[in-house]
Amino acid sequence: MKRRVTYVQHPETPFEPHQASLSSSAVSVRDLDAAREDRITFSLGDLPEELRTVLEQSHELRLRWATERSFDAIAPFASRISPGLHVHYTPLAADQSSEALCSLLRTVFGNREDGEAVVDCTTPEDSFITPPLLSTRFAASASLQYYTQLPSLRSLVAFIRRTACHQRQIGGTECHDRAGSLLTADAVDFDYDSISHALTISGVWASPPSSGWTEDIAKPSSKADQVEFGLLGAEQGIEPEEIKMGGLLAVVGEDKKMKPTMFSFPSRHHPLPSDASYSVSFTKPTGLHPTMSITLQRTSLERPPAPEDATCAIHAYLTLPSSVFGDQYQLGTTDPLFLESHNLAALRAHAGEMDLEAPDWAVQRWGSTWLFELAAPNGDGSDKTSNWTATIPLHLRYLPPSETGYRIAEVPWPVVFWACTAEDGTKMGVNPFDRTNLGWDGLFGPRTMFYQLHPESGRLVEAIDVPVLTLKEGEGLFRAQNIELGTSVVILLGFLWVLWRLVQVALSRSGQQRHEKKE
Amino acid sequence: MALFDSAPRVLLAATALRLILLVYGGWQDANSAVKYTDIDYMVFTDASRYVAKGQPPYARDTYRYTPLLAWMLLPTAWEGSGPLASVTFAFGKILFALADVVAGWLVVQLLRRCYHFPTERALRYVAAVWLWNPMVANISTRGSSEGLLGVLVAALLWATLTRRAVLAGAILGLAVHFKIYPFIYGVSILWWWDAQRDGAAPAKSSSLLSRVLGFITPSRVILTLSALVTFIVLNAVMYLQYGIPFLHHTFFHHLTRIDHRHNFSPYSTLLYLASAGEASYRFETLAFLPQLLLAVAAIPLVLAKRSLATAMLAQTFAFVTFNKVCTSQYFIWYLILLPFYLPSSSLMRKPTLGITAAVFWILGQALWLSQGYNLEFLGLSAFVPGLFLSSLFFFGVNVWILGIIVRDGGNDKNGEIDLQPGK
Repeated sequence: MKRRVTYVQHPETPFEPHQASLSSSAVSVRDLDAAREDRITFSLGDLPEELRTVLEQSHELRLRWATERSFDAIAPFASRISPGLHVHYTPLAADQSSEALCSLLRTVFGNREDGEAVVDCTTPEDSFITPPLLSTRFAASASLQYYTQLPSLRSLVAFIRRTACHQRQIGGTECHDRAGSLLTADAVDFDYDSISHALTISGVWASPPSSGWTEDIAKPSSKADQVEFGLLGAEQGIEPEEIKMGGLLAVVGEDKKMKPTMFSFPSRHHPLPSDASYSVSFTKPTGLHPTMSITLQRTSLERPPAPEDATCAIHAYLTLPSSVFGDQYQLGTTDPLFLESHNLAALRAHAGEMDLEAPDWAVQRWGSTWLFELAAPNGDGSDKTSNWTATIPLHLRYLPPSETGYRIAEVPWPVVFWACTAEDGTKMGVNPFDRTNLGWDGLFGPRTMFYQLHPESGRLVEAIDVPVLTLKEGEGLFRAQNIELGTSVVILLGFLWVLWRLVQVALSRSGQQRHEKKE
Repeated sequence: MALFDSAPRVLLAATALRLILLVYGGWQDANSAVKYTDIDYMVFTDASRYVAKGQPPYARDTYRYTPLLAWMLLPTAWEGSGPLASVTFAFGKILFALADVVAGWLVVQLLRRCYHFPTERALRYVAAVWLWNPMVANISTRGSSEGLLGVLVAALLWATLTRRAVLAGAILGLAVHFKIYPFIYGVSILWWWDAQRDGAAPAKSSSLLSRVLGFITPSRVILTLSALVTFIVLNAVMYLQYGIPFLHHTFFHHLTRIDHRHNFSPYSTLLYLASAGEASYRFETLAFLPQLLLAVAAIPLVLAKRSLATAMLAQTFAFVTFNKVCTSQYFIWYLILLPFYLPSSSLMRKPTLGITAAVFWILGQALWLSQGYNLEFLGLSAFVPGLFLSSLFFFGVNVWILGIIVRDGGNDKNGEIDLQPGK
């Protein structure tokens, strides 16, 4: 087991030496104002049985979770995903159909308030979507993708306490506390791949609790384990694609004192100034065809500080649950008039549930993903004050009947970012905080740099009222039986009426014939 | 009006109307984000593009038609630029619009020959209902293929009334291959085409056996064989070319689809309910019974020998009214048959009745559409009672009008005056 705890402070945040101290058995931080990352790497043997069996069948399994609250994503933790749980999975054998992963996910993430499992999946082949692969040679992203809304990690924490903490008898409370700390995390990643045979769990807390971080990080209980500690500041490197970090590092239990350090590395993800923000809304009334508006502050439209010769474009990556969908033919058009009217440049990629007619209950997979390039106006435009909005027309599926006649469809905010080409040979992987497999990064070349826009504060999920058939259980005039009976009676009456008319015609005819015969 | 004296003038005006709409449509498409061209036309042309690349048309999602359509529209797949490209893109629309005009011309011919209408009267009715009907011209120039059905049905009626059995069968086979529903016409045409239509004397004996044998006439056999051969050959060719996807998208999809999204059909709310698993005795699974009993059995038997065109109109009306799915494009299906029925109908003879029927029909539409707007655009939960009751009301109005058509169809004065062979 390896653990790495990193505190990252804003360069201008005050720091007193007594706030971090190293002893032979632990490192202590006091009232520290910083972002925090806690990363633990387990080898397969350290893991609970049920987890291990699933991982052994995986070529690659990556979970990405982000909170619904907005948070500051500072370097080097600048990357963002839409709030909720994203699963990226590549089975070991392509033809291997397994219920084990889904069953594990259902156990780990528990049930919603209505008793339905949060992770609604049977097998990855049936429930996951296949993202477009830019290059199968590099296979930058996993082959299958799943998403579900997940406001809290309560079930995950309970699962860890039930299994991992229970297994390791020693340090019981510490295990419980550390599991519990995930409840306040802003982003949590799980990474496993069959090459390293190791599972890495990392949590990021973008901001400290109200009085700052105070904790003691103990040296590992076993010689085989390692605990690293870092207290760093991050700023823009000399090269535009680089991030420079400096501060103190220590290996807890080995080092006598903390070592001052300074290093820089090319980074895939970069933050933009905090006023480069965006907000998302749906124009009311949404009807059955809601239009998503992505409103950008003018600062967001300024070209990021990428190298001069880099090509940059601003993108939005949508993660839509199955209740909301886009029409790939409508959105994939090259018609400049349509695109201009929505401030879109092009639909760059889309994957997942594309059916234009099916009701939600007939849709097997969780939903769809959409990558749009936005048609950002040139920076030299005259209007530099007002906001700029791109719109994406979407549609709603029919949802099951309800008592009120409405149901809620929740749509996570998309992530919005600038993507810039980087120089050939830029090695993003050397970044000790590198983050990939976010869903959208695999849609770009391996040497692309991303400059993240910040979602404005508030809940990063939009709720849409979906009109559905009103059905009150066993009461009211328009209950299910009455609709069925009413339809049947009206249609039968209509049928009999036309039939009666036909009989009249037929009878009058034979009457006529009889009449003719008599004559 | 002197305009109605000459068929070429009326046809020219109809062509001009369509030409103006085509040019206007091209202009709107090029200048507005809201397109004149129908979404379906984009489906057809995308499919044609796939075909041009050697792929099946079913590579395009929601292409649920015979490959013939994509083949016919192959010129639209030409990739070029400039004015010629706009013309090739509009090729399908031009074809559909042309089909409209030809359909109208055929109906005029039939009214003159088989109903002995003076040219002017024939032209007036066909212009009002079809040729100059802005809705018809709009639908074909927007690129909806429904207009092709118009010309097929008009041609089917023309071939039948002029006693061209092979041709009538071939058209019938083609039409069914194209859009399934015209199979209902096969029944009434077969029933209508008895030995007397071919010039035989009325049968004297009326024993059961001789009646049954008398039913099998050369014309009926030729028509049936011709229709079957056309239908089977077309399907065999398409199947060999595109396999199961052809069968699935062209036929099975339409037979198995549960279109739960709101539409004019009285079954709409029930289908939503049933699809969501809330219905108990599944009445909708029997929906084909009243529909087919009327459209395929009762109406042809009672009306076909009286007036073939009115019987076909009543069949179409019944088929659409009792269908599980009903959208406004289906109304085009019976429009082409209206000029045969309207002139002698009680709707025209008794203006109050005619106006009342029109008002109620439009009212039914308006009620439904206002509820549809509330749901679709305002997001109000308008399924019950709004959409449910208005679709039942619209159904009621349609059934009432169907009753009038049936009664009128029983009136001998509405029948076509028979063209005896050799006349």
